[in-house]
Amino acid sequence: MNALIKRVAGSLVVLVVVLVLNFFLFRVMPGDPLTGVMDPRFSPEAKQQLAVQWGLDKPLTEQFLVYIREMLSFRFGLSMMTGIPVWDELKSRVPNTVALLLPALLLSAALGLWLGVKAALKRGSKVERLVLLSGAVSFSFPSFFVQLLLLLCFAYVWPIFPLRGTSSIPPPEGPAALLDYLWHLTLPLFSLVILSFGGWALYIRNMMVKALGEDYVLMARARGLPHRRVVWNHAFRSILPPVLTIFLLSLPGVVSGAVITETVFSLHGAGRFLLEATNSHDYPSAGAAFFLLALLTVFCNLLADLIYVLVDPRVRRESAR
Amino acid sequence: MIFNFSMKTFEFSLNTGRSQARKRLGRFGRLRGGRFYDWIVWAALVSSIWRAAPSSAGLTSDENLAPPATSSFEGSSFDIFDFEGPKMKDLYYVIMRDMDAQLLAMSTGKLDVLSDLYRPADVERLARSGAAELSLASTFHGFFITFNVREFPWDQVTLRQAASQVVDRRRWTRDLFSGYCEPLASFLPPISPYYDPLETAGPPGVGSSNVDLSNAGLSSVEAARKRLADAGWTWDLAGWLVAPDGRPAPLTKILCPPSSVAATTTEIAQLMAEALLSLGVPAEAEPIDFQTMLARVDAHDFDACTNAWTMSRDPDVLYSFYHSSMDVAGGYNLSGISDPELDRVLRDLRYAPDEATARVMASRAQRLLSELSPVIPLYSRYSISATRNDWDGVFTTDRSTSDNMMTLVSMTPKDGKERPIYWNIPEEIRTLNPLVSSTAYDWTVLGTIYDTLISVNPYTFEDMPWLAESWSIEPGDAGSVLTFTLRPGLKWQDGRPLTAEDVAFSLRYIKDNNVPRFYDSVKDVESIEVAEDRRTLRVFMGNTSYWHLHNIGGMLVLPQHILETVSDWRTWQPTNRPHEALDGTVLTELIGTGPFTFRESRTGEYVHMTRNEHYMLLRPQNSKGSKETEETKEARP
Amino acid sequence: MTRYLSIFCLVFLALLALLGPTPLGLKDGPQAPPYSKPDWLDRSIASTVILRVSSDGGSSSEASPEASSTAALTWNYVAPLRVALTGRLDGGALRWTTPEGEFSLADASGSAALDLDARDIPFKRSLGIKPFDNMPSVLFPSRGEYRLSLLGSGDVAMKIEGGRWGWLGTDQRGRDVATLFVRGIRISLIVGITATLIATLLGLSLGLVSGYAGGFTDALIMRTVDVLLSIPTLPILMVLAGIWGKGLWNLVLILSIFSWMGTARTVRALTLTLRDAPWVDGLRALGAKRNYILFRHLVPEALPLLLANVALGVPGAILAEAGLAFLGLSDPRLPSWGRMLHEAHTFGSFTNGAWWTILPPGLGISLICLIFMDVGRKLEERADPRLKQEIN
Repeated sequence: MNALIKRVAGSLVVLVVVLVLNFFLFRVMPGDPLTGVMDPRFSPEAKQQLAVQWGLDKPLTEQFLVYIREMLSFRFGLSMMTGIPVWDELKSRVPNTVALLLPALLLSAALGLWLGVKAALKRGSKVERLVLLSGAVSFSFPSFFVQLLLLLCFAYVWPIFPLRGTSSIPPPEGPAALLDYLWHLTLPLFSLVILSFGGWALYIRNMMVKALGEDYVLMARARGLPHRRVVWNHAFRSILPPVLTIFLLSLPGVVSGAVITETVFSLHGAGRFLLEATNSHDYPSAGAAFFLLALLTVFCNLLADLIYVLVDPRVRRESAR
Repeated sequence: MIFNFSMKTFEFSLNTGRSQARKRLGRFGRLRGGRFYDWIVWAALVSSIWRAAPSSAGLTSDENLAPPATSSFEGSSFDIFDFEGPKMKDLYYVIMRDMDAQLLAMSTGKLDVLSDLYRPADVERLARSGAAELSLASTFHGFFITFNVREFPWDQVTLRQAASQVVDRRRWTRDLFSGYCEPLASFLPPISPYYDPLETAGPPGVGSSNVDLSNAGLSSVEAARKRLADAGWTWDLAGWLVAPDGRPAPLTKILCPPSSVAATTTEIAQLMAEALLSLGVPAEAEPIDFQTMLARVDAHDFDACTNAWTMSRDPDVLYSFYHSSMDVAGGYNLSGISDPELDRVLRDLRYAPDEATARVMASRAQRLLSELSPVIPLYSRYSISATRNDWDGVFTTDRSTSDNMMTLVSMTPKDGKERPIYWNIPEEIRTLNPLVSSTAYDWTVLGTIYDTLISVNPYTFEDMPWLAESWSIEPGDAGSVLTFTLRPGLKWQDGRPLTAEDVAFSLRYIKDNNVPRFYDSVKDVESIEVAEDRRTLRVFMGNTSYWHLHNIGGMLVLPQHILETVSDWRTWQPTNRPHEALDGTVLTELIGTGPFTFRESRTGEYVHMTRNEHYMLLRPQNSKGSKETEETKEARP
Repeated sequence: MTRYLSIFCLVFLALLALLGPTPLGLKDGPQAPPYSKPDWLDRSIASTVILRVSSDGGSSSEASPEASSTAALTWNYVAPLRVALTGRLDGGALRWTTPEGEFSLADASGSAALDLDARDIPFKRSLGIKPFDNMPSVLFPSRGEYRLSLLGSGDVAMKIEGGRWGWLGTDQRGRDVATLFVRGIRISLIVGITATLIATLLGLSLGLVSGYAGGFTDALIMRTVDVLLSIPTLPILMVLAGIWGKGLWNLVLILSIFSWMGTARTVRALTLTLRDAPWVDGLRALGAKRNYILFRHLVPEALPLLLANVALGVPGAILAEAGLAFLGLSDPRLPSWGRMLHEAHTFGSFTNGAWWTILPPGLGISLICLIFMDVGRKLEERADPRLKQEIN
């Protein structure tokens, strides 16, 4: 329990550091939102009015306090690019990203898990070859290259999937709208799964092969325990903590890495929002995006730690001490 | 391109997007994370290359280059009431960021109008495919190499002139843009109504006029070196340039944004560095982050940099770029040029009481600038747009590509079947609050909703009646006095009448709230009077300037009955607030006078608009019976 | 033999990277018209031809107002990609006779330099060709006899480039794709190897220390890891690239700073599970020093994992560089494969079917990554024979 509180406290420290870092990082970057306004229609005086509109005329300490207040209240302030509350901006984008990434991640991890364990059990089989190959593919083909080729094949040469976006124009009514949405997400989803399941499979196969060679597994076998039980209760269980760690740790990276997929398929998602906000020095938007991702990461880390505690008795014993 | 033929503040309105966003690069634009084409600032208004580069065709005879005889005739007789529309009920602005996707959609009929084509390969491919009709026009865009003239060696005018001389604009535009760009050697683009080819000639060989381009690249290096030698410059044993006072020329780093902002800019900076090396000036290109570059330029911490501007119909932009008072933080006199005579001329240009004075001052300014060469103009973009072949009524002039308001109003499918127009917007819509929005993508939509008092004739670039049927500008006691008379019977999209009170309210509202976007246009407004008939409006300005006419006449007109209900203009989201029209239809607060009414926006996907049944070019009684009217007309005599 | 295939490939690529394109006779800079096809692809395309007409050569030039000089050409190919005229005209005119008609290319009253290119829009206009039409195909409408004649005096060269070049054709700027490809190897190798090495070493040492030492050190390192992991990678790379610049070594540094955390965490996780293993307890009981245990036992134990990390890390870094370049965030002067793909995508190779600008860099990245994966796997198997397929 004590350990748990310590971990949570540690996470809070990380959040505070990230929060402060976010504020100053963008202000250390050369230029501010006003530098980017290069338009003879905005005279220096008009730019001054823009600074007032964005609250940039206030002293830095006051800006910092406003920033902290907006972040902690989860309102995030008004986007400088749009004048719209950042929260509203995110509301329109995050669902698209989640609808794409979550199934992609789960599908590829599940597929990878299944194939990886199978490959580890049947060394030298076709399954293992498949795992090695798909792993190689997923670690060696640039995602945009594969996605662009897929787009070219299935949206242009053989147009069975849409070129862009998440909806037809105009969108169909009623339940057809959902189907339309799914149809639009199919190709990006498919591309993400074929790009990443191999990585999981390879990783799990490697871990599993090692685990199956461990003494206690051999011992369990020697004791005549059923094959299934040895595999899942002994070997698999021992690799579960690192696998879960990797899974949870990959979550935030997948989100920020979504920008390429969103670029290629012209999706209106959170990845591009992050990129655009950073690019345009839109302090409130970029701050919010960075903060939310940090929150996600910290949460995942905490979860990973918790899982360690739950599944690994040695760490549990350590924590109890 | 644009063609809400308006002015100044509203210039880029209906325009296609790349222009504005690129211009606002840092802040708004350039976010195009995945699409990093050129840092193109497409011009708002466009023009023909016939006039643009008459002599740049090398050795071709004049007959071949004569402008089409019809153009001036058409221009003078151009009347917007020859148009009737909008003909189509539905308009979808389709947000499609990826250029390849745009082209595919164009060939499969998922897009009808595509603006700002800029990849030569696409242009040729689309032209070959026959699916679309392309149109091309010159623009007000200009790409420049700017020197920091505050410091040695670029404070030396001879060196700047020599540098300007070794630039081979034709070869560069040819190699980098496959010819789909126009060499630019003047400080106002040649399509500007105030461009003066004679006055901009400058000292011989400095190549301020396009005339010299035909000789460029052959012996320009020798000529430039001779110019330097004549002024006392020498070269050391290693071949590096030494100033007359014995100082060697230091390394010049040409800052340029990386390809995420501009695919070709780095290459141009490298070509420029090579050109400087040929003079014996040590030089190299330095690609850096765009914001960093701007910050360094703002802090005067640079030797030279690339930059692009979209200029406007009015030459008073020259004041912003080259007047010494604009060499302040946030100002646009990047080079830091400061010359008393230039300052005087630019001041007179900015506060010219009438057009004739403005013309004289613009010519003088151009002559002075080509002598001082604070920047090197390099090229100007063409605007190229495509419209699918299955539409009739596509409107182009020799100064305007097909993606304009007239096309929007008059286009009809060739097969006569009612269907939506799909019009591309290459970047996401950020906000549809007209008081905050700054990207051209937003203004593509807003430009179909809001109108201005005066617009721009697409043939001649002269003022053209729009919401105002007549106007005048006179000198008053304190400053210029503007009088506008509105057309009779104007209505908002919700059916309520538009009066001069609305115009006055918009101007006051924008001035009182210091709306940054329009701050410069209205800051000199002293008072506004509305006549009894509620159709005539007098605006008293605090000082005298001919450009006030375009500032105020180009100001967008907002509905008073809606603005009054807005609590905070900064957070106003008109598209989220329902508003009932007179006939009971539920619209949003995004109500203007333009040809299409906003209905729905799906972020990142599309904006849906429907025909404004109260549009001034739509004759209400004959939406069905226009034929009958014509028949009765014919029958009468 | 096949066992060492990937090693051979790697050595071969490393050699190519070391030598660069010059020994292969490949040149930098624009070589041929943009999107020229590979030389071997299509024989119906002409290679480069230069026609020259000059009044100085002909004796009759001053006497006769007729053509002072004529050059003839038999054309048996499809229309060329590029036509350009350079030289000098002294009050003369230039005529181009095709099987289907005649063009007056230029007309000069005085003496003037001539610099015309079929891409120039004013030139197109002057011949009555629409700006979007492909001028070379108008000038070469069919197979047959063509004549370039000079009326008056002057000296003009007409360069006709068919659109065939080199082993891999040219890109949108007319640069040799083969040259760029060879240049790209070096960037990929440097970025991939150095970034991964730095990151792995960082991750290994910090992970070991953290996992073994525990307590405050552990907390500090892990919180740093958390903070670094909590900052989204791609935007922070952009931010740092903005502050530090985008050069090759900056990129390597940025990539390695943001990729050691995963290794550190995994190493730490492993160390944690090993720390309390009975044999480590035993070692400790025997009086082994901490450093001894760390480097004599835990490092070898962590090695297989690390090799996997290197194996996956090099391709990871290469792909990260390619991704950044694809988003246009790398130094435009670095001729990397990611950059080639970025340009191919940006300038429309995909829709123009210029596959020779897409496949070499795309497959190049994949190939080099596959090689590293394979080498990594071999190393991994050597370190941990259980992974070998043969042993079961």
